[in-house]
Amino acid sequence: MTAVTRRPTLPARALLAGVLLLLVGGLVITLAAVLLLPPLVDFLAANTPLVRFAVAALVLLLITIPVAFIVIYMELKVIARMNLRVGPDRVGPFGAAQSVVHGLKVLAKEDFTPFGVDVAVYTLAPVAVFLTTLMTILVVPFAPGLYGQDFNIGLLYVFAIGGLNVVGLMMAGWGSFNKYSLLGALRAAAQAISYEIPLALAVVGVIILAGTMSLNSIVEQQAGTVFDWNLWRQPLGLVIFFIAAIAEANRTPLDMTEADQELVAGFATEYSGMRFGFFFFAEYVNVFVVSCLVTVLFFGGWNAPFDWPFPVAIDLDPAGYEAWLAFLLVAGPIVGTVALAALLRFFVDWMRWPGALLIAFLLVNLLAVGALVGLAFVTFDWVVGLTWMMVKSFAFVFTFVWLRATLPRVRVDQLMGVAWKWLLPAALVNIFVTAAAVVLVWG
Amino acid sequence: MSGLPGLGILKGMAFTLRRFFQPAGTIRYPEVTADISPHNRGRLQLLYDEHGTLKCETCFQCAQACPIECIEMGGVDTRRKYAVYWGAAETYAERREESALRRSGVEVPDDPSRHWAQVDLGPVRRILEQHDYDPHALLSMLEATQAAYGHLPVAALREISSVTGAWYALVYGTASSYRHFRFEQPARAVAVCRCPACLVAGGGRLAEALGAGLGAELGRIGPTGIGFEWLATHPDGAASPVVALDGEVQPEVDPVNAGDWARALAGTHPASRTVH
Repeated sequence: MTAVTRRPTLPARALLAGVLLLLVGGLVITLAAVLLLPPLVDFLAANTPLVRFAVAALVLLLITIPVAFIVIYMELKVIARMNLRVGPDRVGPFGAAQSVVHGLKVLAKEDFTPFGVDVAVYTLAPVAVFLTTLMTILVVPFAPGLYGQDFNIGLLYVFAIGGLNVVGLMMAGWGSFNKYSLLGALRAAAQAISYEIPLALAVVGVIILAGTMSLNSIVEQQAGTVFDWNLWRQPLGLVIFFIAAIAEANRTPLDMTEADQELVAGFATEYSGMRFGFFFFAEYVNVFVVSCLVTVLFFGGWNAPFDWPFPVAIDLDPAGYEAWLAFLLVAGPIVGTVALAALLRFFVDWMRWPGALLIAFLLVNLLAVGALVGLAFVTFDWVVGLTWMMVKSFAFVFTFVWLRATLPRVRVDQLMGVAWKWLLPAALVNIFVTAAAVVLVWG
Repeated sequence: MSGLPGLGILKGMAFTLRRFFQPAGTIRYPEVTADISPHNRGRLQLLYDEHGTLKCETCFQCAQACPIECIEMGGVDTRRKYAVYWGAAETYAERREESALRRSGVEVPDDPSRHWAQVDLGPVRRILEQHDYDPHALLSMLEATQAAYGHLPVAALREISSVTGAWYALVYGTASSYRHFRFEQPARAVAVCRCPACLVAGGGRLAEALGAGLGAELGRIGPTGIGFEWLATHPDGAASPVVALDGEVQPEVDPVNAGDWARALAGTHPASRTVH
């Protein structure tokens, strides 16, 4: 009699491995937590700035990913609609996961290092470009109390870090061991530096009016209605800043640095895979950052455009509900799901119990999340502020995309001509007029 | 772009924004198919096989099946290069521009119709009258027509079709399904024998004179459509040098009168053949 040794099937093996892993892992984690957590907590409690730094850095790093995805998706979709196309609609609902798939595709590509490159410079260039963008987000005030750091030289910091962008581009061009990349980098540097000047000078008017460089203070000074925004006090500054911002973010029509159709992406020619991806990751985050800056400086930041009743203080006292609260939390979802499923079953002919329960479960969760978000919206000022900030910022992201869908790329001499012959004098005029007005009217 | 600087940009932006709110023209193909009439059969097209030869053999099946009789065709052997005119007159690829010109009132040479019109329709009308215009007697009408013309001219077939009421496709189909009907004058060819006996007897001078008279080199087709070739074998019992017209030995032709004979032959060739 031969014993038939049955090998466990694949799901069974996976389950077994999972259970074992959970057991061992859980044990190890528990032990580690018991042993290490109390001293760790003590250490962290003693070093709050470190925690703050770690959390801020993590959040800043993580926030760029969804932001870039949303901007890329917006770009694909909005330009498609303006071309009377549908745009991406295969991955996810309405193609919303398209940019995620793009990211995965770029990650899956070969990370190729050409012969003869200066490896350290070549490798660090995308990081440098991305870091400058990332560090700019640090001072952007998204909502009351929601910012990485509030410098009193916030605006100066923004331009200082933004200027470092050029270093990254030059690193990419130099490290690539390719004369055309180097030429592209020089062209990019020329453009970035030329537009750096009107960009910085355009906000001097705002600084004169605000009397501070702290972005938080600038936003707070614009509180009130839409007429309190800097938009009305600095219209020329806004126009100059916006045009220069297009060039700074390397966006069509002023994207001579990249000019992918004509110049094969200039400084990024030798890059492939995720290193190439990082340049464009940085570009898309940069679009968002620049939009945030326009919002903060000229469009009132997180302030609502009119007398907005929220946030209101809602007097919720959960402790007062005693046992009812527990019942609501535990039984509420279940009862709601079953009741909704029964309703669905009753009113929709083809609905079966499993499907009805599933849909009801999802609906109840959606409802709960909606209620929670609504509660947060009406209760917390940072949720309200963040909402307004995002609405305004993405309106400007839309404008950037809209411009790209409309305008052709300009010639390089026109690009430089506009910066030096028009924007720079206009920015200077703006400074003098603002200063004179401040002295004459308020002085 | 005149007037205010930046006005052109604003106009462009307004345009793209309007586009943004218009419905997209995209048809999501695999899920949604375009709304095409069930009668649509696409663009008419003649297919070529892998040797570059037309697959169409003018069988008229398509013309008979066409519910609105928009397909008509004529197979015309133009100097041994088989060409097929097909589709409605406007859609003959090579005639489209002429059609447009004609509709605008310009006089345009119409080679196919000239080809049809150049036949005297008297004989075929008499034949039709004899057969009492009965399409059931199509076969005997066609035979009589071929006897009268030597072949079946397209114009005669069209006359039969229009007078009897039978579809042209039916008339042509009947005619083309019997092997003894011809649609063309039998191709004419002058052939010389190149055997040593004939060459010794003056075959070279004969060929030269014939070539000059026909305006063609040996092995080519002359400008009047008469081929000039050589015989594969010396015909039995013929006196050297041998000249054959359409395979029949012409004993009266010799190197002296060959040039005149060839010129006469080229001159008397049916005009319908000189059109193409």
